[in-house]
Amino acid sequence: MKNQATYFSPYIPLLLAGLIFFSLSSCKDAFLEEKPLASLSTDIVLTSKSGFENYLTSLHHAAREELVLEDNHDYHFTMHSGTDIATTGQEDARPFRNYITYLNPNANTVLKHWQWAYRIMLVRANTIIAYGNKPELEPIWASEEEKNAIIAEARFFRAYTHNFLANLYGGVPIVDTIYSGPKTDFVRKTRREVYESARADLEFASRWLPETVEKSKEGRIVKAAADHLLTEVYISLEEYDNAIASADKVIDSGLYELMSERFGSQKDLPGDVYSDLFKYGNQNRSSGNRESIYVWQFEDQTPGGSGTSGGNNILRGWGPWYINLRDPDGQAGMIIVDSLGRGVGLTRPTTYFLYNLWAGNWDNDMRNSPHNIRRTMYYTNPASAWFGKPVEPKTTRLDTMQNAYPTLRKIEGRVPLNGNVNGGRTFTDFMVYRLAETYLLRAEAYLRKGDLQKAAADINVVRARVNAKPVAASDVTLDYLLDERARELIVEEPRRRTLTRMGKLVERVRKYNMREDTRSTIQDYHEFFPIPQTAIDANFSSVLEQNSGY
Amino acid sequence: MKYLLQKHDLLLRIMRISMTQACFVLIAASISYGTNAPGQSLLEKQVSITVENKSLKTVLNQIEKAAKVKFMYSPKVVQAERRVSISVTRQTLGDVLQQVFDPLSLTYRVSGDHIVLSRMKTEPQSLNGTSPASVIPELPAERTVTGTVFDDRGESLPGVSVMLKGTQRGTVTDPEGNYILVLADADFNPDAVLVFSFVGYLSQEVAVGDRSTLTISMKIDNKALEEVIVVGYGTQSRKNVTGSISKIDMKQTQDMPNTNVGQSLRGRVAGVQFLDNGRPGQNGSILVRGPRSLSGGNNPLIVLDGIFFNGSLSDINPNDIESMEVLKDASSAAIYGSRAANGVILITSKKGTTDKPTIRVSAFSGLSNWSYKPKLLTPERYIEKTLDIRRQTGLPADPANIRDYLTSSELVNYDAGRTVDPYDEISQQGRISSYDLSLSGQSSRTNYFLSTSLSSEKGLIYNDNMKRLAIRANIENEVSSWLSIGMNANYIRRDLSGREASLGSAYPATPFGTWYHEDGEPTWYVIAEDQIPYNAMRDAMLTTNQEVYSNLFTNFYALVNVPFIEGLSYRLNYSPNYRWQHNYNFVRQDKHETHINNTSASKMNRQDFDWVLENILTYSKRLNENHVFDITLLYGRNHSGWESTQANSTRLSSDALGWNNLGLGELLVNSSTAAATDGISSMFRLNYRLKDKYILTLTARRDGSSVFAANNKYASFPSAAVAWIASDERFLQEATFLDMLKLRFSYGAVGNQAISPYQSLSLSSTNRFVYGDGGVSSLGVFPSNMANTDLKWETTYTANAAVDFELFKNRLGGTFEIYNMDTRDLLVRRSLPNMTGYDFVWTNLGATNNKGMELSLNSVNIQKGKFEWLTNFVFSRNKNKIVHLYRSDTNGDGVEDDDIGNRWFIGQPIGVAYDYVFDGIHQQGDEMPTGYEPGFVRLKDLDGDGKIDANDRKVIGQTGQPKYRWGLTNTFRYGDLSLSVFVNAMQGWISNLSTVDYSVSGGNYPHRPLNMLDAGWWTEENRSNTRPSMVYPNPYGHGYYYSRDFIRIQDVALAYDFPKNIASRVKLTHLRMFLSGKNLYTWTNWIGPDPESGETNRGSFFPTARSVTFGLNLGF
Repeated sequence: MKNQATYFSPYIPLLLAGLIFFSLSSCKDAFLEEKPLASLSTDIVLTSKSGFENYLTSLHHAAREELVLEDNHDYHFTMHSGTDIATTGQEDARPFRNYITYLNPNANTVLKHWQWAYRIMLVRANTIIAYGNKPELEPIWASEEEKNAIIAEARFFRAYTHNFLANLYGGVPIVDTIYSGPKTDFVRKTRREVYESARADLEFASRWLPETVEKSKEGRIVKAAADHLLTEVYISLEEYDNAIASADKVIDSGLYELMSERFGSQKDLPGDVYSDLFKYGNQNRSSGNRESIYVWQFEDQTPGGSGTSGGNNILRGWGPWYINLRDPDGQAGMIIVDSLGRGVGLTRPTTYFLYNLWAGNWDNDMRNSPHNIRRTMYYTNPASAWFGKPVEPKTTRLDTMQNAYPTLRKIEGRVPLNGNVNGGRTFTDFMVYRLAETYLLRAEAYLRKGDLQKAAADINVVRARVNAKPVAASDVTLDYLLDERARELIVEEPRRRTLTRMGKLVERVRKYNMREDTRSTIQDYHEFFPIPQTAIDANFSSVLEQNSGY
Repeated sequence: MKYLLQKHDLLLRIMRISMTQACFVLIAASISYGTNAPGQSLLEKQVSITVENKSLKTVLNQIEKAAKVKFMYSPKVVQAERRVSISVTRQTLGDVLQQVFDPLSLTYRVSGDHIVLSRMKTEPQSLNGTSPASVIPELPAERTVTGTVFDDRGESLPGVSVMLKGTQRGTVTDPEGNYILVLADADFNPDAVLVFSFVGYLSQEVAVGDRSTLTISMKIDNKALEEVIVVGYGTQSRKNVTGSISKIDMKQTQDMPNTNVGQSLRGRVAGVQFLDNGRPGQNGSILVRGPRSLSGGNNPLIVLDGIFFNGSLSDINPNDIESMEVLKDASSAAIYGSRAANGVILITSKKGTTDKPTIRVSAFSGLSNWSYKPKLLTPERYIEKTLDIRRQTGLPADPANIRDYLTSSELVNYDAGRTVDPYDEISQQGRISSYDLSLSGQSSRTNYFLSTSLSSEKGLIYNDNMKRLAIRANIENEVSSWLSIGMNANYIRRDLSGREASLGSAYPATPFGTWYHEDGEPTWYVIAEDQIPYNAMRDAMLTTNQEVYSNLFTNFYALVNVPFIEGLSYRLNYSPNYRWQHNYNFVRQDKHETHINNTSASKMNRQDFDWVLENILTYSKRLNENHVFDITLLYGRNHSGWESTQANSTRLSSDALGWNNLGLGELLVNSSTAAATDGISSMFRLNYRLKDKYILTLTARRDGSSVFAANNKYASFPSAAVAWIASDERFLQEATFLDMLKLRFSYGAVGNQAISPYQSLSLSSTNRFVYGDGGVSSLGVFPSNMANTDLKWETTYTANAAVDFELFKNRLGGTFEIYNMDTRDLLVRRSLPNMTGYDFVWTNLGATNNKGMELSLNSVNIQKGKFEWLTNFVFSRNKNKIVHLYRSDTNGDGVEDDDIGNRWFIGQPIGVAYDYVFDGIHQQGDEMPTGYEPGFVRLKDLDGDGKIDANDRKVIGQTGQPKYRWGLTNTFRYGDLSLSVFVNAMQGWISNLSTVDYSVSGGNYPHRPLNMLDAGWWTEENRSNTRPSMVYPNPYGHGYYYSRDFIRIQDVALAYDFPKNIASRVKLTHLRMFLSGKNLYTWTNWIGPDPESGETNRGSFFPTARSVTFGLNLGF
């Protein structure tokens, strides 16, 4: 043992150990400093114009999620089901069949729309606005215009969201700032205050947004979108002259017109100009569509082109579940075919919409043409003896609520590039605002102001394009306007929000919904959504009042 | 671990105990396996030993290890420092002893498995070198004391040292146990005391008084106390441990087919809960004592051979493990302060123990099936459901027209009489096998343990498989008398390849579905036209999957016993840990859907690199007879970092190349991510023993962690513990039934840092969006994490009181502990009102409390001849509650606010069910709310305001952890045959089995052609008062609560050791066979898949396997 000690001094490791101790003790603080390796932060990103563009892009992503965040009965389709123009197609206790047992503070639709608004829309919009206004970031902007255009787009979305909430829930907390710490004492503002907040944002947006955008930026917010929405907000604030003036800005801009000639991708195929509006690729302005103002963008086979639930799902939601049809022999009558796509009948137009609304214009109103409402279906299963023959009512297992009903063709789309028609999604863009609605909003303003002539004139611009008989000024009422909106804008307009905005939901559901249990269970308090229970529970430092009745 | 034992005081350590022996001792105290050959056969053990010019002490030591015997002797009598040389190969112990002892004039006798040494009879001698016999007559002025020393069985004890206290004067007993001590007048006074001492026995001091004859009975020192315990940064004798540490001897579970070390913990340690998720090669979850953190992790820290182990527990080969220790209280865990809040599990791998290389082979193989299969609708019940749901929704429901109500595809199978049991369809025969080979041993300078093992498991679900290769090399080399260098290296390759069948899709599969085309290819949906449900076998069959985890975990260390300063040593640890994993998938073209290109391929690669660097300084010093110090100092750093890359490709132009050429895809998406955390630790520990009866441990640790806010990186965690070995007190010596009694108390703090990195910072995430038609994909960035610049450590303060005892000659032993844990500044993933823009923020708030008791009992019920019946019982109870949250009282009622959003209630446990109270089913004629109908659930109107609203919710019960747990092991042994039965139970918890909610929110969609759990439903004819009708929409979204209580026969093992003579005939040192059964039977009211895993998500209804395994252990 001794001989080893001679060539291996015991002091060497001690010395080494001491060195290690010493070296470790220095630069202590830098060692624990945290710098995220793969995560960005607002402070890092919002230091250049392109960073702001990144944040705006995520805001556009969020805005489209209003349609595609969830792909079920309980989300976007509740904007239609259980109203005057649509009900759920499925034969069980489904959303908005029985209002009492469905619409309560725990309902998925109540929570998810609330979360969409606050958790993804307002926080993103407010971050852009707050940082855009930071004096220390002033040097990054080429001009005041450039900065304000960015802020204006964010403020448009903030207004869009507040307006959405006020329409649906009534007065809600206004969130116009960003929070760096927990806050549990939110209080509800009045519905009017919420609209006023939206008005302020939109007036700014209208001033600073660009009039048009280049093709590569289609989907971005233009000035007309702000003016269009501002028209609605002014109406809610009962400022009808402002509403009219705001709509004038759009209508008289020279940029927009109702399409009157065939156009776009299928203009040489059988169809009409109204059906052209909804064909694949025909929504953005560069396609020749001079009617669209704000369009949710979908793109097949491109990252970011489809949103959370994988594409535009209105075909799936509104289409009949025809695949369940059996032929009169009791054999499978249908297979999925590309033109019909795959609907599951989540939401189904009511008899009132499919029949009553077209009375007097059944044959002449383009919107009721076979190109726009498919009223006859044919057996598609080549193995069936009935292949190619029309589906007649009253055959076995013909469930006309869910499986077979006239189909709105504006929901149809091109077969996805991967060839899968089973998904029920398309990649057709979705028009949020188009000029026809601007006319109808201005008509509403005139109507509420008492100028029935001008109201009728605006409505008749819309009707003339589709070859419908003009309406007489004396026949123009809010209900007529709602009927016209349904004829023109079904699927496109969030019907429930329109009805609650006008305070007509309960009344018209009792009148026109086709299900007895829906008509009998809706209560006056159902005019508004309840405040989600989770929001009330989490906001424990202050009472977030529930809407009365719930 | 022996380097940390004090080497200088042999008397103190009554026996040299290697780790292996320690295990044997533990077994003797708890469960016996009958490997100790009794009596004479001890001497027939084969021993090989080679030593040259070593002390007798060392030689005895090696023989102890090689032959598994224990020597008892007085070092002075046998002159243990004498140098000896011997070289024998495979000779019997008797021969070896003769060779060693004869030249030294020593003799021995066998007592049990002890070998008692003494001088040969011809040479009795006093320590003064003169024969007492010759002294007596010559010195009559002196006085003699004579007597005999017996052991506790009444047999005489030779070689016992008999000393006059305070002098060097003394003698030893002769082979008959007799002694004669001559005392000078000067020495003789009324206070004279004789000290009797002998290795393996408790020393005794007896006052002589005026007696001339003193007959003494020596008591064997309690062996359980001598067990060596790994305490973190060192080892300690069980006797000196002050904290709450449970040791798990892997031999307890060696006859069980465990492939995960966690399974050895399952139910066997008081206060430790291991929940197996039923899947091969995957981790279960471990909870020590109770959950403390509201949302910081509650997983204990795993320390493998002294180093933080960040890998998967299933990466550790159970056969490589010598022992596991669970540190439960603050005192024992504080040494790992930063990460120890949830307890620490120390895992120690094996070392070489014999001079002769030992080769061990262990193998087992078995089959398994479902221990319980959740009841889905049978074909008959499915038809009933189809009719009942139509009836209840007001549709025609004439049983004669059932053919109209089924879908077209179902009809084909219905007419043909073909039915499918979905769970059968996705099952495979479960199999388990494991082969383990190890080589270990020690030479004069080197200790080694090398092992390799291959285990393979096929789960019960198709393609849910695991294969694991584990290789280990533990090598320690004594470079010089003061320097040792070693390495513990571990390489594991865990292969979970294969896409398993989808449980979530099987659950709703109708009994009349079509799963396969005629060519055996899977269909897409089992009801093609309805496109539901997705064929549960489709992905499993179309997907090629390679999922492999590799883990290289190594610890290099150097140990310096500092020369010239006895007791001072320094240890340097450097432990790099590389882990790499990949998950590659390729989905081939569906041959029946050629119009769709459904191909896709993806590759995910992840690398983790962690390292730990530690400097440990220890100093042990016995000042004198009464005072002993152990000091440990630590300074270390650790780092853990990972990065991963994911690449996806869809719609490949060809499916010839699998995932190897992602470029063939039409849509390519790739992403990558990375993260890292760093830590700095320094630690001080002092152990002080007074008179070997009063023990004090003080620990202080200061930790820095990068995951906290800039100003709160560091925190300190002190603790203190005391222990009192009461049975060593003189006043308890008379209590003969009491073999050992030890009282312990500890108090201290430990920290929790179990959150992901960067949580104190404001972070952003990304998404993508496409502007315009045919446009490019644009990057979106959005805020995703709310910053918290105050984020800091969570701290748990634990008080622990315990009593350890051994009674009735070690027939009954155990530990009883109570504890109180206060956790403050909880790391909370606190839900926020959505209006803030965020779902949650990580914050420190509130306080929780855990109180509990733990009892472990070991008893030897019967020990008669060859028959033995042993019982081991563990019981633990933990009561958990939230003490504070935000300390806010917004409604001014003087009571702190609950946080209903998070379901946190002051005074209630962390996991509770807070819900409406079920009050039966509305029947025809009952008064019910508007819109309700018979068959709907009646909820209790708790506040009596006439309507059901949010105020009618309350805390219904405890979820997440049971109120108490117990485990009972009974072991019966007859000769070489042993049978052990382990029963495990957890009681006092409930869970929301949301699966039985037939409404849309429960996801069952009864009106659609889907299957579901058959929990029954209300009908006009069968007016259940517990189950609603199928159209009940559950408007309040309430849960359905079931008890998760269970009692389970978890492990039964029957083992047989072939007698030595048979084994040696085939050149084996031992041969053992076992047959074991796992999860044989469970008593429970839970109707989900398993009450222990408590899984309520249909996609995770992995069955708990009932398995029967045959195994073999042999050594040569």
